Amino acid sequence: MMTAEEFKQYVRSNGTKKAAKDVDIVTTGTFGAMCSSGVYFNFGHADPPIKMQKVWLDGIQAYGGLAAVDAYLGATELDDTNNMLHGGAHVIEDLVRGKAVRLRATAYGTDCYPRKEIDTYISLKTVNQAVLLNLRNSYQNYACATNGSSKTLYTYMGKLLPDFGNATYCSAGEVSPLLNDPYFRTIGVGTRIFLGGGQGFVIWEGTQFNPGVPRTEGGVPKRPAGSIAVIGDLKQMTSEFIRGLTFTKYGSSLGVGIGVPIPILDEELAKNCAVTNDQIVTAVYDYSQASRSRTVIREISYAELRSGEAAIKGKQVATSSLSSLYKARQIAEVLKNSIVKGEFSIEKPVQTFSMDRALRTLDVRTEKEAMQ
Amino acid sequence: MKSKVVLNFSPEAANTPITNNLITKHHLLVNILRAEIDEIGGKMVLELQGKADDIRKGLDYLKSNGVGVRPIKEGVRRDDDVCTHCGICISICPTKALSFDAKTGKVIFTEEKCVACGVCIDACPPRAMEILI
Repeated sequence: MMTAEEFKQYVRSNGTKKAAKDVDIVTTGTFGAMCSSGVYFNFGHADPPIKMQKVWLDGIQAYGGLAAVDAYLGATELDDTNNMLHGGAHVIEDLVRGKAVRLRATAYGTDCYPRKEIDTYISLKTVNQAVLLNLRNSYQNYACATNGSSKTLYTYMGKLLPDFGNATYCSAGEVSPLLNDPYFRTIGVGTRIFLGGGQGFVIWEGTQFNPGVPRTEGGVPKRPAGSIAVIGDLKQMTSEFIRGLTFTKYGSSLGVGIGVPIPILDEELAKNCAVTNDQIVTAVYDYSQASRSRTVIREISYAELRSGEAAIKGKQVATSSLSSLYKARQIAEVLKNSIVKGEFSIEKPVQTFSMDRALRTLDVRTEKEAMQ
Repeated sequence: MKSKVVLNFSPEAANTPITNNLITKHHLLVNILRAEIDEIGGKMVLELQGKADDIRKGLDYLKSNGVGVRPIKEGVRRDDDVCTHCGICISICPTKALSFDAKTGKVIFTEEKCVACGVCIDACPPRAMEILI
């Protein structure tokens, strides 16, 4: 049993053949902003009962178009004033911290659910279910962002200073789960994972799953590629690994900690897990280019990005990460220890992901075009 | 030695070249970290560098000209319970007061290097940085 970093060290001294023989499981980790996250609740029934049509948690609207007292609160949802310091993600963090939050709901009233409104407080102790359900997490590689314009940009990649003033990236690199199993040989539906401090599962491929991007010789995607949809009991989670985040002038997002154990099935997988930051590359984009297909300025390795400086357009540009390496390491360590203690069991995926997915775009189409 | 001070002054005092006098008459190196001025007066945050005696005399000079002087030990504070050590602040800090420790993976905040420009405040996703001046 080794963490990803320990394993890479072991391979350096002993080679992949011996490593594949000696090591059963490698633990990986990542902690970063994962916007496509949220929590579904079942609040329990009121008396008289209500079929909630509109639902707010601490002023943040949750989607209530489900059964009577079920609702889904998205991490990036804001209130009517667009207060980005307190979005859905912050309500989720408050709940994880054990706080009570105000639940307000309205309804049109039915014969079976006559109540038309309710104003009360809930906490993780009062609800039947509070389940973190994230559609796209733990991206397998991500872009590096910079800004070639003359004004500061506020983006989901952080504050980008003008005239290539800085560059930001968002991956734990060699420690990151999906970069250690680039073809999803061991990660699929049913994989048990560390999620936000508790245990969860991979339930599907992540949205925008796009494994067909260019890859390095070692098979590592050079662009944002795969991702995972995950689920887990919010009641098990801790604020150490679930955090409300604010990206100024962009919005709120949820900081989520994810750890995935990778069983070393054979030497091929040992080679995959031996990958180091100098062998993982991504593309640098100018985020002032307002297009869904920005021009690649250059390709860059995570070793260079991690050095704190990168050559971009003939200039040495300061680089920094949005993804916490400190927490990623912490997660890999915690996961390793809980596997050793027998508290965390390794599951074989009940179904692997199709590597045959293409990324579609949204264009303005006619009804007929949309059916073709 | 170095000393950081917050100065509050009236519109009248704003017409006196106080920073120039600190430099020329009191032999201090002056680094203006922040400066705001409006119709009711102004506020300035300075880092003064020079001999201890010169700094003391310089501050006495300011006080005698009706300038409110408040020494500050820190301009920006990090809440270590809130910081997730992501490091996004590192590349925007103009004085390298925020840096990455490769060994621990943590983000180190070196207060002595901080000039309280405040650029990190709204760049921090969990909002761990607070400006105190």
